[in-house]
Amino acid sequence: MASDDIYKQLYENVLNGDFEQTGELANKALENNIDPMDAINSYLVPAIELVGERFGKKEYFLPDLMRSANAMKNALEVFEKDIREKGVERKSSGKVVIGTVKGDIHEIGKSIVASLLTAKGFTVTDLGVDVESEVFINKIVEEGAEILAMSALLPITMPYQGKVIEDLKARGLRDKIKIMVGGSPVTQEHAERIGADGYADDAVEAVKLAERLMKS
Amino acid sequence: MSIRGLKGGFLNFLSEDDLDAIHFATLEILSEIGIKMEHEPALEIFSSSGAKVDYKNSIVKIDEQLLNKALLSAPSRFTLHGKNEDFDVKVDTERVYTIGGSSALNVLDLDGNYRPALFDDLIKFTILLDRLQHLHIMHAIVIPSDLEEYGVDRMLFAGTFPYTSRNYYSQSQTGADGVLEQIKLAAVLQGSEEAVRKNPMFTEVVCMVSPLQHEKVNSEVLIEAAKNNIPVYVEVDAMLGGTTPAPVAGTLVEQNANVLAGIVLAQLVNPGTPCIYSIASGLMDMSTGGYSGAAPETNLLHCATAQVAHYYNLPFQGGTGIDAKIPDAQAGYERAMQVLSNALAGTNFIHLSFGMMEMMLTASYEQCVIDNEIMGAAFKMLEGVAVNDETLSVDLLRKVGPKSAHFLTFKETSEYVRKHYWVPKITDRNVHSSWKAMGAKSMRDVAADEVRKILSENNMPFISAEQTKEITDMAKAFHKKALEKLKAN
Ligand code: B12
Repeated sequence: MASDDIYKQLYENVLNGDFEQTGELANKALENNIDPMDAINSYLVPAIELVGERFGKKEYFLPDLMRSANAMKNALEVFEKDIREKGVERKSSGKVVIGTVKGDIHEIGKSIVASLLTAKGFTVTDLGVDVESEVFINKIVEEGAEILAMSALLPITMPYQGKVIEDLKARGLRDKIKIMVGGSPVTQEHAERIGADGYADDAVEAVKLAERLMKS
Repeated sequence: MSIRGLKGGFLNFLSEDDLDAIHFATLEILSEIGIKMEHEPALEIFSSSGAKVDYKNSIVKIDEQLLNKALLSAPSRFTLHGKNEDFDVKVDTERVYTIGGSSALNVLDLDGNYRPALFDDLIKFTILLDRLQHLHIMHAIVIPSDLEEYGVDRMLFAGTFPYTSRNYYSQSQTGADGVLEQIKLAAVLQGSEEAVRKNPMFTEVVCMVSPLQHEKVNSEVLIEAAKNNIPVYVEVDAMLGGTTPAPVAGTLVEQNANVLAGIVLAQLVNPGTPCIYSIASGLMDMSTGGYSGAAPETNLLHCATAQVAHYYNLPFQGGTGIDAKIPDAQAGYERAMQVLSNALAGTNFIHLSFGMMEMMLTASYEQCVIDNEIMGAAFKMLEGVAVNDETLSVDLLRKVGPKSAHFLTFKETSEYVRKHYWVPKITDRNVHSSWKAMGAKSMRDVAADEVRKILSENNMPFISAEQTKEITDMAKAFHKKALEKLKAN
């Protein structure tokens, strides 16, 4: 396949959410000596931006968004590994560790936030649901995460977001990370009370918040 | 006299062939894929009943034989007891009833404030709902923000059970201990735990997780309720397109496998345990990812699920909250479509059907009264059209003959109207000038007046002040105990 065709194919895969072969395609691109930075900036990012735009206009829907985000992620993984190996550091929008807190198995909202963050170029580690404080903290340390995002859908589990923050303080890690919280019962007041850095009530706002937190 | 609902079942979206196909697909899921059950004792119960159990992955596979045997003992008729006979609900697979609730976090109060729910709201809402004619089963409508959440079901019991004449729809957050403590709470009124087990005035609900999973706490509650002869709503809250396949048919299959597995478990524990096939499923809005209880697809799903439940001769609970934020035109149209379609489809319990707004997050006082009105109109339509010599009215038509005339002076008319015509309570049918003369009130204003009136007339003949206090004190102690247990862990 010629380079041009591969570029086009990558763009199409992200736009159409055909994520299954995107990783393979990215590898093929590298074999063809395609510049990964160029592939990301000139093809992957414009494609995902178009997906976001169509989503906003209600031409595309969540399944499209999630599939495109997956395609983006699969290609990015391959390209970023290559970039790292060559010793250049591509600027990720930020490293995020995300999960739904202990005692809570509501998954959907958290996963949507994770997908959108990925699509916006964040490097996201999703710990799933029912996540213990220890697990959050260990992962943050391991990944050198810059943002911790915690979801809670039950009033009964909301205080656990505060517990994780307290545990981070106890380990002397609180200042090293920005913390955002969400989930339908979570409010700005709750976020302030437990000492989080931000709250957002939907996934689009969550991405904007993450971008703000990275700048602050 | 007990409450006897009207019969539904006029609206059929599925053919007999469709139902068979859903049944066979469900058998395939149950016997080949299975259900994940986190609760070890549940696995053991299935294993000793001949089901294939994969302990390593906590998977239970149920074959046709076991399913049929278990379903044979699940009753299709039973009574849910109210505080006295007048409020007993005679359940079968045809009659249509309603359930209030549940678990809203916020309240839209009479001053138009949108704020977190308080324990005082729970009591007020229960008193209000208890006075609404078309509410048949009471469920705690809010989760008070001024109480600690863990084990709060004990306090929901205290804020609801003493204030209602209806059968109480309870839940246990913590497991088997919640069920046992609630039996003790009910025994304050019913005399003894034995009396509660014989004629329980409350039920339990358990919510299964889609796709195809039973969480530990829920199985524990299910087993304990069955052991104690407490009827159970075995519920699944699918999100169409999110946690279950996007087509209604695929969601019907997932729901069916998930709910039937729960009902089989209850029957294995205690054959004959009354089980209600229940859903609170909704469409995933594909622009926000949010839950939509009022989408037309949700209504289709609920109506079709009624047919699926009835295929197994099981009573069915459907219905869910609407999406509107305030009692406005959206609220009216959403509730009306939902209640009418479910009633016509023969949903035996239309749940969350009073005052629940904002995707189950908010309860509105005014909307409770408005929903009661909508329910009245829908139930009127369930009566259908009676055709007999009297209603055909040929003699009357002959008497009047072809001339300029009216039927208003006839005894037949007067009798029929008094007996059969629906009398709206808060719907306005005046011309503009009369409506203006009466204050030009919106339906929401009229509903608010009605709420104020009802709340000022509070009386509860079915329980003494001492019993209410005893239940409340006990519930507080149980709640405290649950919290201490949590801290100790
Ligand atoms: C689907 C659902 C379930 C499913 C979850 C399936 C799954 N795999 O996730 C199941 C059936 C498992 C379930 C179980 C229960 N549920 Co539930 N559930 C819901 C429901 C209907 C929708 C939740 C949802 O997915 N919404 C869609 C997503 C997209 O929205 P979202 O999660 O709010 O996320 C958005 C934002 O909040 C934000 N966001 C989310 N996370 C984060 C994180 C960050 C960092 C940021 C910035 C933003 C952000 O962005 C997201 C996208 O826009 C809600 C009602 C509701 N309207 O919320 C009840 C609800 C949350 N559940 C409720 C209850 C009670 C329960 C149960 C306790 C029921 C029971 N008795 O068993 C169990 C709890 C189990 C447990 N231990 O967690 C109550 C909670 C109220 C309360 N007072 O406790 C609710 C409100 C319904 C009700 N009124 O009864 N539930």
